[in-house]
Amino acid sequence: MKIRVLIPALLPALLGAQAIPPRPEALAFAPVQFRTPSAREHQARLKNGIPVFLAPNGKDGAPLVRITVNWKGGGYLEPAGKEGLATLFGSQLVLGGTASLDPAALQDRLEALAATLTSSCAPTAGSISLTVQEKDLQAGLDLLVQCLTAPAFAQDRLELARRQARQGLSRRNDMVGSIAGYLQPALLSGPDHFSAKQPTAASLDAVTREDLLAFHRRLLHPANLVVAASGAFDRKAMLERLDRALGALKPAPGAQASPVPPAPAFQRKPGLYLAAKDAPQAMLTWTLPGLRRTDPDWHKAYVMNQLLGGPGFTSRLMKKIRSDEGLTYGVYSNMGPGPHYRGDITGSMQTKNRSVAYALRLALAEMARLKEAPPSAAELQVIKDGLLESFPAQWGSKQAIAGRFAEEALVGWNGDWWQDFREKVQAVTPADVQAMARKYLELDKLVILAVGRKAEMEAGDPDHPGALKDAAGLPVTELPLRDPLTLKALDK
Amino acid sequence: MRRSLRYGWGLAAILAAGPLAAQTPPVLERTLSNGMKLVMVERHDQPTIALGWMARVGSANERPGITGLAHLFEHMMFKGTRTLGTRDAKRDAELNRLQDGVQAKIREEMAVLRERQRRGEIPDMMDPRARTPRLEALLKEFDALVKEQRALVVKDEMDQIYTQAGATGINASTSEDRTFYICSLPSNKLELWMWIESDRLANPVFREFYSERDVILEERRQTLESRPTGLVDEAFNALTWKAVPYTWEVIGWPSDIAQVTREQADEFFATYYAPNNLTAVLVGDFDPDRAAAMAERYLGRVPANPRGVPPIVTLEPPQVAEQRMNADAETTPTVTLDFKTVSSVHKDAPALMALAGILGGAQAFPGRFGQGGAPRGRLHKALVLEAKAATSATAHFSGMRYGGTFGLRAVPGPGRTPEELEPMVLAELEKIARDGVTDDELQRYKNAAEVGFHTRMESNTGIRETLSQYLSAGDVADFRAALDRIRAVTKEDVKAAASKYFPKASRNVLVVHRKGAPAMPRPGSMPPSMPKGEVK
Repeated sequence: MKIRVLIPALLPALLGAQAIPPRPEALAFAPVQFRTPSAREHQARLKNGIPVFLAPNGKDGAPLVRITVNWKGGGYLEPAGKEGLATLFGSQLVLGGTASLDPAALQDRLEALAATLTSSCAPTAGSISLTVQEKDLQAGLDLLVQCLTAPAFAQDRLELARRQARQGLSRRNDMVGSIAGYLQPALLSGPDHFSAKQPTAASLDAVTREDLLAFHRRLLHPANLVVAASGAFDRKAMLERLDRALGALKPAPGAQASPVPPAPAFQRKPGLYLAAKDAPQAMLTWTLPGLRRTDPDWHKAYVMNQLLGGPGFTSRLMKKIRSDEGLTYGVYSNMGPGPHYRGDITGSMQTKNRSVAYALRLALAEMARLKEAPPSAAELQVIKDGLLESFPAQWGSKQAIAGRFAEEALVGWNGDWWQDFREKVQAVTPADVQAMARKYLELDKLVILAVGRKAEMEAGDPDHPGALKDAAGLPVTELPLRDPLTLKALDK
Repeated sequence: MRRSLRYGWGLAAILAAGPLAAQTPPVLERTLSNGMKLVMVERHDQPTIALGWMARVGSANERPGITGLAHLFEHMMFKGTRTLGTRDAKRDAELNRLQDGVQAKIREEMAVLRERQRRGEIPDMMDPRARTPRLEALLKEFDALVKEQRALVVKDEMDQIYTQAGATGINASTSEDRTFYICSLPSNKLELWMWIESDRLANPVFREFYSERDVILEERRQTLESRPTGLVDEAFNALTWKAVPYTWEVIGWPSDIAQVTREQADEFFATYYAPNNLTAVLVGDFDPDRAAAMAERYLGRVPANPRGVPPIVTLEPPQVAEQRMNADAETTPTVTLDFKTVSSVHKDAPALMALAGILGGAQAFPGRFGQGGAPRGRLHKALVLEAKAATSATAHFSGMRYGGTFGLRAVPGPGRTPEELEPMVLAELEKIARDGVTDDELQRYKNAAEVGFHTRMESNTGIRETLSQYLSAGDVADFRAALDRIRAVTKEDVKAAASKYFPKASRNVLVVHRKGAPAMPRPGSMPPSMPKGEVK
């Protein structure tokens, strides 16, 4: 390989005058100026009131434009017996073609533009997203608007999506993670809450094209929509373009502003729940009631949770369970922001079956330790500095900025929320962390779920003796797996 | 390597974007006095830098007995240095030596157990119940040394310093061909990166070596063994590659991971982590001249390895016969056809990427990228939409440094079998070998590939990852030429590739049936080479 340039020997000798400091703490850094992006500066409104968040490229951007239309409404609006309707609606909004372009013709147009148009719908909200070259923006936007306002939901594509969805259901019991995925929601929110409602082969079969059309009519209301645009465009021109495309949109007949997704009305039963699956590694999760992002405790509790089980190697759980004990590839505690109702604090890890009991004891001991004593100022500073210094990276792309503001507007969050984020994190003290641990890490409220080889999990590890049933001091319940297509309980 | 005085500083700032590649971001290249390369892309949109350095070493540089070592290394490189990670470097070094001594005795006992397993006296030498009394005692002795060391360890100090400095995405990855250490930092912290990375290259200490083997065994369980087809895919890959050392998975065989020694790790480091085998990648908000000078000062202090890196001389021999694997697994049935092809920088690679794009809608980049957007491509149209026989049908070119594969994969719909799909997939390939592709579909593929390339150029990390894919098998010139090579593919190239790389004897076929599923009616179109009674 040709070496293009060699730095001459002279240079390091000259630079040698600046000695390399013995430790990195001796390095000094010029401050980085970063102003938190403001939702207000990015926001505009179309003539019919639809909020739009615009983040045009700086000078280094690629010649692409991204437009996403988000909507309020999803699985929680499905009629009983039609579970899966929202997911099918989400995919078929684009894949099912439009009133004037059948699915093949629409796909053909997108391919001719080298554009990507995708759509999906989750339990509480959905979106349709376009990525298109700057020069083809108008043609791409026209296709997005056609799908959004006049989808056709072609019958044969619906049948294909149904076959694919059914195949997805058939894999439910194939992995410990997917088993935990369908067992856990009912333990946390009760079997009747929308978050625990899951499709069966029969409920997928029950969804008709008319159901998709009715779901679409119900959602197509300006009050349900929020737009995000980022990339290679001029702000004013884009706003005019979006106004022409969506600013005249009126509620469809029968459209409704989507209600707020209901909070679960369910009394959780704390306990240790076991499900048997023959797999080389078990899945272990634990959940505690958390809080909403709007709660005055949020920043303090957030810092507490970062210290306990935040991402990377710096958290106590990771240091203890992975780094010291070698029991897992990763262990985390996540604090859900609760967009519609109280969030949860959820921990998870995978470990070999016989290590489940010991790893669970270690995780609970770390939580207890945080309640017993405040962290040192130095340990807390590492966590806080990490959050503060990495803050600019959270706004790392124009797409991220526009997308975050749009998603927050969709759930009705205050757009100024991030402005004092750094001050509030900086203000958290070791005593605050301990107080939050005492308030939120209530170990008698834990709902723990372990999926794996039952006998091995229950017996524990001979190197760290202790049965699983004694690990948490909570009642033990065995849960049956469910038939993947009907969700009927299987024999244990 | 000795420093050269041939070039003056004035030449150091050559900007080397190829004239035809106006749309790839301009890349600057420098070489430090010890042979380490710097690859830089300036972008000032936001005050961050995506950073990384790549060692040209991966599982292909291993051999039986030390499989998984390149990846174990990736983990060890986070364990600290003589300065970072311990409160008492002297005692720490003593404890490492004492641990090595006990581990040597443990290996003697493991050899005893291996012999017992070989003779069938115990089923699994790794089972705690199989341990000898001496092994139990040694493990206790070892545990005490670990406990003593743990009291001196500053846990994951390198990670803590980075985290506190606002680093995001602190990580590393290992492939068959390279190991890549990455993070993103606020733009004022470039010197911190230089300090830490040069420290771990110049003064590494592989502490917590033996317990990290356990983490990797858990990683293997989580990412390979727990996937319903993980072990099947591992076996199929080993069936496909005969000679080129892509036979084993990057994570290695469990027996090797559990027995690898620090001495083997030291030798591996000395050979492959010398600066003349390393390339640093910097993308973001910095001044290239200042960054290069800083790199010389910090990274330039790591001594070069004058012996260089042993080349991989093994060439994959032509496959002499079709190979088949019939597996039962807890998942949806599938059929996969893999053909060994060429490296991602081979002159035929762009045509193979185009073929994959036209057949299966895959994106046109080297490495193992996924697919984006709505399903498209001839296979989807023919098998999924028209015949309604499959729920998914894709094609993929996966180019590595010393070779590549071309994969075709289809998932049968309800009531259909993988065996039915196999001839349908091959028919689409044969159609292109016979009749070629149209101007229109080739142009569409090229347009999608260009847009796909640009979507990777929207962020510092996207550019860093894309560059790393090209550097893994080639060099910066391959990155610069990426778009031109996509544009230059002709219909004849695609047709020629479809004719050249897919003879029957080169086929590797994996048929997966759902474990325990009731027998399906046998389709008439089952290939004749399928042994009777194998299909469930």
